[in-house]
Amino acid sequence: MPPTPSIVTPDVVRRIAELARLRVPEAELPRWTEQLSRIVGHIDLLKQIPEEAFGSPPAEPATPLRADSPEPGKGDEALRANAPREMHGFGAVPRVVGAGG
Amino acid sequence: MPALTAVGVVETADAVASGRRTAVAAVEEALARVEASDARIRAFLEVTPQAALEEARAVDARVAAGERPPLAGVAVAMKDNMWVSGRKTGCASRILEGFRPPGDSTVAARLRAAGAVFVGRANMDEFAMGSSTENSAYQVTRNPWDLDRVAGGSSGGSAAAVAARFVPAGFGSDTGGSIRQPAACCGVVGFKPTYGRVSRYGLVAFASSLDQIGPIARSVSDAARLYRVIAGVDPRDSTTADVPVGDPEGALGRGVAGLRVGFLREAEEEGLDREVAASLDDARRIFRDAGADVVPVSVPRTTVSISIYYVVASAEASSNLARFDGVRYGPRKSDADLASLYVETRTAGFGPEVKRRILLGTFALASGYYEAYYGAAMRARQLLREDFDRAFDAADVIVCPSIPGPAFRVGEKTDDPLTMYLSDVFTVPASLAGLPAISVPSGLTAGRLPLGIQILGPRFAEEKVFAAARAFEERAGFPDDLPPAAAV
Repeated sequence: MPPTPSIVTPDVVRRIAELARLRVPEAELPRWTEQLSRIVGHIDLLKQIPEEAFGSPPAEPATPLRADSPEPGKGDEALRANAPREMHGFGAVPRVVGAGG
Repeated sequence: MPALTAVGVVETADAVASGRRTAVAAVEEALARVEASDARIRAFLEVTPQAALEEARAVDARVAAGERPPLAGVAVAMKDNMWVSGRKTGCASRILEGFRPPGDSTVAARLRAAGAVFVGRANMDEFAMGSSTENSAYQVTRNPWDLDRVAGGSSGGSAAAVAARFVPAGFGSDTGGSIRQPAACCGVVGFKPTYGRVSRYGLVAFASSLDQIGPIARSVSDAARLYRVIAGVDPRDSTTADVPVGDPEGALGRGVAGLRVGFLREAEEEGLDREVAASLDDARRIFRDAGADVVPVSVPRTTVSISIYYVVASAEASSNLARFDGVRYGPRKSDADLASLYVETRTAGFGPEVKRRILLGTFALASGYYEAYYGAAMRARQLLREDFDRAFDAADVIVCPSIPGPAFRVGEKTDDPLTMYLSDVFTVPASLAGLPAISVPSGLTAGRLPLGIQILGPRFAEEKVFAAARAFEERAGFPDDLPPAAAV
């Protein structure tokens, strides 16, 4: 029987790279596709676990909450120290709307 | 008296706290060793002598004022993904170049309060993704036992710095074995506490449901001292549990008489390396001779743990690393428009392994694949946890190897990511189940490379783990020689 074709194709890699905000050059696509296919092939071992083995997941413990009152943070200071470009206490980015506004 | 860097955490701290040595002298010795030998090992990305000596002087002043801090003058190598005030934090990544954290991580704050001194940023796999420290964007850390071999990873810099006797203490983060695996490769002790035991505030997130900080040291008692200082609930990390830490150092002398020590059956079924199998047989004999009740235990789903791990960890990583986009930190590439700012910054800033994990995680979470991959992995993770619960009905602690073989050669696995991932096969199960686990050196191979034995306990049963680890360490008799490549 021929091996099952991998579901990770060059088109899938292109699509997930776009979702992940990464650029994968066309020349590198075959290598990424081959590596990810092998990894996903190994992950497919999970399919050997029969559905009936899965019960309902237990309830997660409640998240502890602190008092609902403001506390001073270090956000502004950290931003000023680390932002590649900062204006008026905000991280500055390129214009996101067209010239016509 | 031997040079302080040649002795451990407890001896250093006790000597400094009692006024027999100064913190400045202890730290100067550590800095001198780094200066003499780190060009070969490359454990540190950056050494900060001025800040370290300033901190050491402050510790000496506290001791002079009558304080007895538990880590007085202990020089520490911090993995480059934990915030230390006044230092940079870079995760060994270009994308975080120059980042200065807004303060101490909770772990750094607790270490500072306990009198520890930070000598530098230890090398790591970029964003803690790797098993060899070859994925650092800056340098490859070498194994002090053989410079042609890797130090393990991802906390390879911290493990190598301790093994080479530069510092008595290292700190790492463990997501799928990143403390225990390099510790085993370098012949030192590495401990991952229960998930929820140590605050992750100020640890740059990789996979938030798995990440845990822990110590690397040359002995189990040193690891217990370091762990005691950093453990405990923290309001800044809502996953920390309000469960008493107990007395891990007091537990060291308890021994294992009557303790049920379970040997993991699945670990022995998978074509185990001959020398690893022999070290496991030795461990079985050691525990039996020490009075333990040695029993076989089974955790069936450990056989699919690598599959579960690489879905869950990559999915969480793809989400956590979305914040690195050139807007708030690091060097920005392209200002043409917002979309290319994101894409160009991330493409230039992340290395190949980080990109691989982001792509894999994005795939597992993408519409059309989510249920078959992320959903299935989460359900299988729950089954694995239940398997462990049942195994701990039959045994108090569980033993298995830490690594499937000794440290491999530099470059041996870099072109084969799947084979690299499989080096975590024995450490990933405890991470997925959130269990405390320690790696203790078990001996040297015929080629004089270290191997390690791992001891796992139920959640929050750190005391049991330390008691069993100390009993094993005492009888295993790992050589106390300086690793050959670390000799000045």
